[in-house]
Formats: sequence, structure tokens, C-alpha cells
Amino acid sequence: MAGPGRLVYPLYQFGNPQIRIFRTNYFLTMVRPGVRLPEDTVQFRIPMVMTRLELKDYLENIYKVPVAAIRTRIQHGSRKQRDHRNRPIKKPDYKVAYVQLGAGQTFQFPDLFPERPEAIEPGSLEDIQRKFMKDEAQRQQDDPKRSGVPRWFGL
Amino acid sequence: MRQRLKYVVYPQTWAINADRWYQHFTKTVFVPELPALGEAAAPDGEAGGVDLPALRSLVCELLLQEYVCQRKKRPHLFRAIDQGPSPFLTHLMPALATCLASLNPILASSSADFKPEVNFYWMRGETVVPRGHRRGRIDPLRFQIDDKPHCQLRIPKQLSEFVPLDYVAPGEIPVISVLPDKLPLFKRQYDNKIFIGSKTADPCTYGHTQFHLLPDRLKRERLKKLGIADQVEVPYRANGIASLFAWTGAQAMYQGFWSEADVTRPFVSQAVVSDGRYFAFFCYQLNTLALTVDADKNNSRKNICWGTESKPLYEAIEGNDVKGFDNDVLLQLVKFLLNRPK
Repeated sequence: MAGPGRLVYPLYQFGNPQIRIFRTNYFLTMVRPGVRLPEDTVQFRIPMVMTRLELKDYLENIYKVPVAAIRTRIQHGSRKQRDHRNRPIKKPDYKVAYVQLGAGQTFQFPDLFPERPEAIEPGSLEDIQRKFMKDEAQRQQDDPKRSGVPRWFGL
Repeated sequence: MRQRLKYVVYPQTWAINADRWYQHFTKTVFVPELPALGEAAAPDGEAGGVDLPALRSLVCELLLQEYVCQRKKRPHLFRAIDQGPSPFLTHLMPALATCLASLNPILASSSADFKPEVNFYWMRGETVVPRGHRRGRIDPLRFQIDDKPHCQLRIPKQLSEFVPLDYVAPGEIPVISVLPDKLPLFKRQYDNKIFIGSKTADPCTYGHTQFHLLPDRLKRERLKKLGIADQVEVPYRANGIASLFAWTGAQAMYQGFWSEADVTRPFVSQAVVSDGRYFAFFCYQLNTLALTVDADKNNSRKNICWGTESKPLYEAIEGNDVKGFDNDVLLQLVKFLLNRPK
């Protein structure tokens, strides 16, 4: 893949340049902030090579979002975990951008998975079904006293 | 004393909406107009004893001297204030003070500092320590201001208060529930310092007026070019609030007041924030130093900052002529300098 750092243009041929549309090959991820942010701040994960000036251009020209200020940092990916051969596993680093919106705009990250209160009436079909499934699951379970030894070895 | 990590507050900042955060840190209400400067400020009516045309010609002369005669070479990037605005402000304050000393005797006994250090340290709010060996403990948020005003006037007697100590100012202090890291402010660890610009042996321990020069990064043309035209006034306000809180707070600490022994009389100072052409005026009254969570529980007092929007002193300098000189700005400057204790 030709990253934005080194663009590879096609070889010149007679008749070029043709009319082309250049589209960005940047991909941004808007993430829920881990710690609370002010209302006018949005958090993104952006490609390593993307600078804050480019991010500003991107948001203002493609999405028409007024941007007041941008701060970026690079998050170090953990290398604490080890695999089964005791080799360190590196989680990839990523760049985090904090975008402060201009023109008094605010943003709140939407609650994507709202908690639904489960209301099942006692005695209804659903309730009986759930009870049955629970009993069945318990019956299927192995005997805890056998500590995981398969039934084949039993009498 | 053990020094811990503290947030370093920079009075001259380009953070978005910094003035609202600074109001929260310092428990300050911002009032967008100037208070009545008392009878002492305008002794003989508006400009009775003041020879305003003479002062105006004096200021114009200073402007021409610095902007026309002294101009030598093109300034470096972001160093344009070194030629013009900075020396103009350096010469403006003593020139006006000497002219007005006959009308305001306190100016004669005042002391002027150029590029002094003004420091203040305080605690406000608290948080849970996120990591480290003290994880989970409650820890106060510590703040330090290291200010460097362009010049300042100190006087041996306290300026008269604008409003009584228990006056409840209209307006709300913005409440900010996120950590100051998000302004962003950064934490550093060094000596806590509280300093008004001179040591305690100096008789001039009270503040009169500070002059601040905004750096080129905060020029309004630049902010407009960056597309944040609504932030043009923010650096002025933030600078006025932060610097004056630091200065008056340090003066109060010199008199023995601190968060556990709150002030028994208000402390008052004034500031002029300028970028060379635009001038904004601020008056500050320190009503409380009890800003820590424990001391702030039943404390209805608030600090008050009065301030104006920035206005241009002149429109342009063309040849040997200052175009569009604004007398109101000069008059306000004169009123500030004529303010005196009872």
C-alpha cells in the first residue's frame, strides 16, 4: 500500500494527466474518551503519519467541522504480555488526536450500547423457557468432583 | 517542605476558552465593565486637573520614537513586539507616572519594576490519585503561576477597595468538572514560590498597576487567520484574571493571609493588557484566599475581576503621523494611574 508518506504515481504516458479524483487514504476512528473530556473536545485515533494540520484540513474540508485547536500524542502500545514461548508481544502504537471544536460546538460520544432493563413476567412463556434452559445447562455440566476427567473413563 | 507535582498556569496562553478555566481555578467572577474608580481616581471631575492634550502629544511622541525613529531592521518571526510595542510600553509607564505624580502623590513614593517576577502558589479542588504508591488517596490540585509582567507599579499603601468585602457579585463562576490536564495544563515539580516582585523589606508591598504585553502568537490578526475569531478577547481576559489573582494573592500572603486564615480586608490591583496597539483594562479585588476544598465549604465570598474589551489606542502610524488616536483609551489609562488610596 502506498502510504501518504510515499505516494507512487503511475508512469507518464502520452495523454496524461487524465482527470482523476484523489481521495484521501486516511482512516480516522472516533473513540470514546477513557477519561472525561470537556464538552467541546473529540478524541480520535488517527494514522501515525497524519499530522495535526492534515487532520484539521481533513475535518474542515470533508466533514465541514469547525476546528479550533488540535493536540496529538502517540500512545505507546504495551509490550508487557508474553506468548507461550516467553517472547514479548508488542501491541501496536497509535496516535491519539484531541480536537477542540470551534464556533461553540459541543459533542458527546453517543451511548452505543444502552442498558435495557429486562422485564420478564413470572409465569410467562419466556420465563418458563429460560428456567428450562437453565436446568438443562446445569444437567449438561460435568460433575465438578471429577475435575474435568472425561466420562469415558468413568464406569 | 516536600514539593509535589503542580499544574503550571501560564497567564499568557492560547488555550481555547482559557478565561473560563482560570475563573474556575481562582474563584473569580468576571464583570464585563469597569467599576467606579472612586472619588480618588478622578479628583477634579473627568479630566479636570489633567492636561489631556499634553499627555496625548507625549504618547504620540513616544509612539513615533519607537515605531518610526528606532525602527532598524525587520523583526524575526514572532519577535515583532521586541521593536515597537515593548519599548513603547517600557517608556509609557514612567512617562505617564511622572506627568501625573503632581496630581497623585502616591505615584511619587511608588516603586516601578521592569520585567519583575510575580509568583503565586495555591490549591483548589481535589482529585483521586490515579496511579503510583498513593493510588486511591485524595489529593488537592496544586497550581503555580510564574508571571512576568512587562512593568508594574508598587505602592506603600493599599488602594481603596472597589466594593465591600461581603459584596456578592452578580454572575456565575463557570464550574469545570474535568481535570485541568484537559485545558491543557501540565504538571511540574519545583519550588513553590510566592513573590510580588520585591522582598518583604521593601515598603512598597501593595500593587497599583501592572502592564502586560501579549506575545505575537496571540495577535488578533493571527487568531483570525487561524479561524478562531471568537477567541480574540480570551487571551486578554485570561491574562488579566490570572496575573491579577497571582499578584493580589501574593500581596495578601505577604500580609499573613492564606487559605486557612482568610483575608479580613480586600486586596485590590489593576492591570493593563496590551499587544502594543489594543489595550484592555482590568481591575481585581481579592475577597477570598480560602480556595481549598476544606476552606471553601461555607465560603460565599468570590473574587471579582472587572474588565473591558480591548480597544485600539490608535489606528495606524503613517510617516510621522499617528492616525486615529483614541482619547478614551488614554483617559482610561490616566484614570488607572490616578487611582489612589484613601
